[in-house]
Amino acid sequence: MAEEIPKHTPILSPLQEEDLLQVDAALKSIKIASQSHRTAPTSAPTPVIFAPSPVLPAAAGPAPAATPPKDVHHVSGAPKRSESLVRKQPFLAGSSLLKEFDEAASASKRAAELSRRASRDTTRPGTPPQSVMGIGKKVERPDYSEAKLVVAMVGLPARGKSYLSNKLTRYLRWLEYDVQVFNVGQLRRKKARMKQQQMGVKEDHSAIYFSSSNKEGQEARDALSEESLSNLISWLRAGGNIGVHDATNSTRERRAKIAARVAQEPGIDLIFLESLCDDPAVIAANVALKVTSGDPDYKGMSREEALQDFLNRIRQYEKVYETITEPHLSYVQIYNVGKQVTVSRIRGYMASRIAFYLLNLHLKPRAIYLSRHGESMYNVQGKIGGDSDLSPRGKKYAKALPGLIHDVVGNANLTVWTSTLRRTTQTAEFLPYEKLDWKSLDELDAGVCDGMTYEEIEAKYPDDFASRDEDKFNYRYRGGESYRDVVVRLEPIIMELERQENILIICHQAILRCLYAYFLNLNQSELPYIKIPLHTVIKLTPKAYGTDEERYTVPIGAVDTHRPKPGTHTPSFTKKNTTIRDYYGDAD
Amino acid sequence: MAAPIYQTASGRLWHAGKILIVAVGLPARGKTHVSRALERYLRWLGVKTQVFSLGDYRRKHIGGAQDLPKDYFQTNEWSDDTQRLRASIKRGCENMIRAFFGPKQRGQVAIYDANNGTKAARRELAEEWNREGVHVIFLESVCTNQDIVEANIRSVKISSPDYKGWDPEKAVADYWTRIREHEQYYQTVDEEEWAWIKVINIGESIRMNRIQGYLQSRIVFFLMNIHTKHRTIYFARSGESLIEHSYKADADLSPSGWAYAERLMDFVLERRRKSVEARRKEDQSAEKNKLVVWSSTRRRSHHSAWPFQQAGYKVLQKSQMCEINPGIWDGLSPEEAMEQYRDEYERFIKDPYAFRAPRAESYHDLSVRLEPVLVELEQSQDDLLIVTHSSVIRCLLGYLIGLPPHEVPAIEINRGDLVEVVPASYGVHSQTLHFWEPTQGESGPEGQNALEDFKGENNGHQHEEPGAMDLPLEGEDEDERIGRKLFRDGVHVYAPAPDILVTTSTPTKEPHDT
Repeated sequence: MAEEIPKHTPILSPLQEEDLLQVDAALKSIKIASQSHRTAPTSAPTPVIFAPSPVLPAAAGPAPAATPPKDVHHVSGAPKRSESLVRKQPFLAGSSLLKEFDEAASASKRAAELSRRASRDTTRPGTPPQSVMGIGKKVERPDYSEAKLVVAMVGLPARGKSYLSNKLTRYLRWLEYDVQVFNVGQLRRKKARMKQQQMGVKEDHSAIYFSSSNKEGQEARDALSEESLSNLISWLRAGGNIGVHDATNSTRERRAKIAARVAQEPGIDLIFLESLCDDPAVIAANVALKVTSGDPDYKGMSREEALQDFLNRIRQYEKVYETITEPHLSYVQIYNVGKQVTVSRIRGYMASRIAFYLLNLHLKPRAIYLSRHGESMYNVQGKIGGDSDLSPRGKKYAKALPGLIHDVVGNANLTVWTSTLRRTTQTAEFLPYEKLDWKSLDELDAGVCDGMTYEEIEAKYPDDFASRDEDKFNYRYRGGESYRDVVVRLEPIIMELERQENILIICHQAILRCLYAYFLNLNQSELPYIKIPLHTVIKLTPKAYGTDEERYTVPIGAVDTHRPKPGTHTPSFTKKNTTIRDYYGDAD
Repeated sequence: MAAPIYQTASGRLWHAGKILIVAVGLPARGKTHVSRALERYLRWLGVKTQVFSLGDYRRKHIGGAQDLPKDYFQTNEWSDDTQRLRASIKRGCENMIRAFFGPKQRGQVAIYDANNGTKAARRELAEEWNREGVHVIFLESVCTNQDIVEANIRSVKISSPDYKGWDPEKAVADYWTRIREHEQYYQTVDEEEWAWIKVINIGESIRMNRIQGYLQSRIVFFLMNIHTKHRTIYFARSGESLIEHSYKADADLSPSGWAYAERLMDFVLERRRKSVEARRKEDQSAEKNKLVVWSSTRRRSHHSAWPFQQAGYKVLQKSQMCEINPGIWDGLSPEEAMEQYRDEYERFIKDPYAFRAPRAESYHDLSVRLEPVLVELEQSQDDLLIVTHSSVIRCLLGYLIGLPPHEVPAIEINRGDLVEVVPASYGVHSQTLHFWEPTQGESGPEGQNALEDFKGENNGHQHEEPGAMDLPLEGEDEDERIGRKLFRDGVHVYAPAPDILVTTSTPTKEPHDT
């Protein structure tokens, strides 16, 4: 865009007299909050606010530049703290100071807006947005429309391609990118199912179909792959961010075709993600999973037949397989997940972020344990936020925890992560493991509402309270955070979790909801309503196609801090079975 | 500086052990640039890292070209005396590395900046250090683009002490001859048995072999994101808000703050226009980068960038760039914090970087939070204007300039300062311009809270010991120390590579060309 735009003018214009009166009146209330000034305001000759613009002297409107009344310069000198008031009455939603301040600020803004309209100067930029009043507001999702990327998978069957693409999809969706997997196998099965349903013809998709000497099969597979890629590109054009082309893409020729196709699309980048695996145990496990998980390609075959056919199919691919070595392509090559990675020609924010994520993955069996802190004094009082101690029942939980953890974890290594707040470190107190505290695991900051009960908030700010319930994920507490802000700050934690082994995380409701949503692939609208009860340990075991979950509840009573979305009686999300593979692409 | 996630008992992070990164590459391929950038980043991550430059060691212990035997720079044949001299210099430098890994210094990553252009030399190095329990990674800088090499020679090499008093054109020609000599014996890194990272055209492409583990993958991630395209990063504080001292109120700008926002835009655009004119005088093809503005999600910060948004610039709000959370010190001036929380405040003054007040963030916490922003900052090719809070600017500048952690909280950045940072080959050029005087009644630089308003030694506390700026840090040489000091004095900073003369170290009102 052009840089030369010196023609802009000040946002605030000279005010008209009646505006000034209004401002003056509004400011009287602010002064309640600023009885004493740290620096006593001297009589400023011309407060900045009302100074006529040096750039555009006279064009600002019909009224001559007004001489502001004496009091007005209190605006330009921000109200200073009054020690007694600040100490007793900070700017919290519970005090009246915040409301008074908002009213004054808003009146001042209205006056500026009136004056802007009166000036009828169309070259001037609009006034700034209305100051937010109250305890928070809904925040728009960041604009990701510039991120457009094709991730084309490369690899033999049963080499963990789907594992990688699923992981990546889950991670990127959690970060609110629009991600879609375009699986060529799904497209093939879906089409075959349609053909069978409509015409009663069952196509042969046994190993013969996948042979490179089967010219017809080869052409059909090429056509399917191309169709899938063009579906993907249309989807990106329609607003998607990252499309995963999930196929074997096992020859240079095929990859060259993909590269040529994507090169026609300005603004869309391409990276290849190759999964190499020569660990017989991993391959065998993948093969077993494939033939026992209800793959429709093997419907009506015995397990043994299916196994033979699948191994045959792999052999067909192996005959022509060429690993990526093309120097001009961008690619990440993963050899025995977690063992070795090659990264070539990776440039740009999205691609390097994806590469870094993949660099941190491993396949060692492990579990992640999540627990909230024991019941806290604030929990008992119904207050949010704060840094209170555990309640007597919370302390009981802390004492019971080592036994439970030992029963579940056994003698395996474990590291305990807590937040920096007292209630989590107190909960971890008796655990005989290495402990680390993380600032980024602290509870969602409720800003001006910290220390209040939901009832108090509802009584004082009913409208705000309702609008948070409407869109909880996007609602940012004033002076605090939204769930999105929490997801952003947890991203490095996820990266660290991926490379760790057994971890027990003891932290807070909102934080655990975000972490849980990452592992269980839940979307942003259901995330703030995930039930994470007190005095319960959730064990998550990452599996090839998702995460298994077990819950262990300690029989020590605690208050229920879960607030379902108003108007709903059951949790608004239904738990998906995330560990089952979707063969037809019906799930999305 | 800092973002150690945790430290193991050995004092080495992430169980990564000791790592020797051997820079490999023909002259003028950006080896030193990559080495220095990596050193800065790893230090910031909390990894004890140091660059050891063979050329630097030689100059320090023997002297410049005039003090060397004539055949010293030949590439394969030397007299016996010269060979002995070369071997002793090499041994001396490598012994310094040994000491760095030793029990006293407990270094974790040493970056060895020497030639090591042959497979035989690399084998010898790898085998020797592997025997000592040090993991060796070769980091090769390759340039397939001759323009990069030429630019590197012109901007850096000919101002080296070896060419003092030379005619620039002759010096360039001489340097090319030196490169050609090296090329005859140079063998690119492709040994299967060693771990290596090959950086092609400074980050354009990365290839690697046998890279494993978190720290190593982190290094690769960083290298994927650096570049040497000319660009400028500007920093400014946000304008005054209606309630300066309350973090929670998240107040909007005061009228004075709005005027500040306007003035900021005028000033930045004017400054940019002049900079590009000046650069074009020297280089016709100098391009004007796109300007992107980053703010935090706090109202005072985002609205200080509002005029840019209205004028059609891309303004990105980043929640990681919110000011340091003052916790229970919200609304308290340093004096008030001292009065009401004497114990905590005294601990804070003792260690302003690492101390965390109740429910607050420490500067260290803030640095950890800023890490993703920092990687984005490295990778961005646009010019950036970062309009945010003093605590955040301190941490980002601390990284860019390479300041040690304890210096960070005391970096002075006033409202009305525009800090202009231009990354250069071996560090950054920075200068502070001033575009706004707080009006009467406006709180000026102070008035927020004890964390934002922290001013180091000037904070009403007398320190007996000399200021940290005056003491050299471990492994720091005089130039680096002066660089740090200059920054605090608000003049100009250059974090020079020790073997290079400072090219544009004179403070100047004119924009630089790099």
